[in-house]
Amino acid sequence: MTASLTNALLVMAILAIGVYLVAIINRAWANALGHSGAGNPFTAPFYSAASLWVAPANTTEAPDAMAWHLAPVLYLTLAAMGLALVPWSQNLVPVDLTTGIVLWGALEPLATVVIFLHGWSANAHLSMLGAYRYVSLGLSYLLVSMFVLIGVALPAESLQFSAVVESQAGLWNVIRQPLGLPLFLLVGLGISFWGPLNFADSNDLAGGTSSESSGRARLVWQAGRAVMLVAFSAIGATAFLGGWLGPVLPGFVWMILKTMVVLAMALLLGQLIPRFSPDRFLTIAWVLLLPLAFVDLVWAGLEALP
Amino acid sequence: MSFVDLIFLICGAIAIFSGWRVFCTDSMVRASFFLLISFIAVGVIMLLLGAVYLGVALFFMMAVEMMVMALFMVMFMMNPAGLNPMKMVHQDKFAALAGVVAFFALSAVAVFGDFPDQPRPSDLDPVVTLGKELLGDSMLVFESAGVTLLATMIGVVAMSSHRGRYGDANAGSRPPGLEPGGMPAFSGDQEGSSGGHHHHHH
Repeated sequence: MTASLTNALLVMAILAIGVYLVAIINRAWANALGHSGAGNPFTAPFYSAASLWVAPANTTEAPDAMAWHLAPVLYLTLAAMGLALVPWSQNLVPVDLTTGIVLWGALEPLATVVIFLHGWSANAHLSMLGAYRYVSLGLSYLLVSMFVLIGVALPAESLQFSAVVESQAGLWNVIRQPLGLPLFLLVGLGISFWGPLNFADSNDLAGGTSSESSGRARLVWQAGRAVMLVAFSAIGATAFLGGWLGPVLPGFVWMILKTMVVLAMALLLGQLIPRFSPDRFLTIAWVLLLPLAFVDLVWAGLEALP
Repeated sequence: MSFVDLIFLICGAIAIFSGWRVFCTDSMVRASFFLLISFIAVGVIMLLLGAVYLGVALFFMMAVEMMVMALFMVMFMMNPAGLNPMKMVHQDKFAALAGVVAFFALSAVAVFGDFPDQPRPSDLDPVVTLGKELLGDSMLVFESAGVTLLATMIGVVAMSSHRGRYGDANAGSRPPGLEPGGMPAFSGDQEGSSGGHHHHHH
């Protein structure tokens, strides 16, 4: 009982620190690249959070009240479930499920459902456009994620994340399957609708699924996006960068360092690459990314042959 | 009552309640996602039964399936976005009767059935055993066939797509005639100045 309480506290702590870390790194990149309006990386996140905290909650005409209220909470919950699957060190795995990879594969489509419901339930034009656009594009890269993850499960001969880490003792997957991490990062940007793959909440739809959202619900929604990106970075570090493996330093420290490297890369991509035009991205996803995911899977299979 | 019993009762209640709501709601989108909630509750029950792969697989299969179903149903119906109320049931009396009969028949099997009492050995790995049981030696064949099938499906969609490198794939084609060799119902006159007669040659 104390062990599960400690694990829950660990996930909560990483969740809270992760949101702040994402805000800091994102603003630091924006300042470094000369993008205006980011402000002081360390204090500005508190100002924007506080302004959302005191802002009144918005409601629309005849929304689907249950989905409208639940969507931000559910999205944050799914992100927290993702964090719970991460093996932080050999002995520190909040939920070491034998089918961890499959559960992670379930969190991605469930997040897609929740993002859709967030936009659909408001009963407003722009948020609904964001919702439908997100789903129709999101389905095209969910498959990429599945193939990439099957690729890392092959050499481990297991669907358990800790076994995936142990299978990389000789050589990390990022070298063994070089296509995996870039593809997985793109999916991560998609699921947290960040930067170039922000098809749900983008500016061209005046905020998309959250265009009608304000106040604390919007704060939870934004926090959920940040936590989802952290969870993606941590899973990416686990699956491709050898997780807790590393010399001298304890495993926990290695894992945090690797997660932060992946997170910083994702946020840099978010600042550097403009948003894809939706119809062009559909072509890119089916004609380029999915065949690359097939190649990655065949590569992983051939490499795993004894 | 143990913790597992409590979770089972809660999930069973959620599964039945949301399953019932599927037929009460007036929207395709709501119906899809009530069904999803019902399936997720069943998935949790399967996890309680130790079916750790099947339960989790149910989560992701149903999430994708219900999302695709909601999207396509809305796409192909005359109800923009699925928020307009609509009647979701037909043949409802017969369906309700069939549902009640099936429920009691399955419940009778569960209550009166004579199930073997074989606890799972503690060293058994349910995921590996399930894979061997389902596919056995044909594992590689099945996995390869699965990926090939998906690649084929994507190839078919890509080849039948209307957008091509040099414009629309159906450019210059004309619909079949109303009678053999005759004029089609729509001759293309509305599109350009060339008129239907220029296309009419054999």
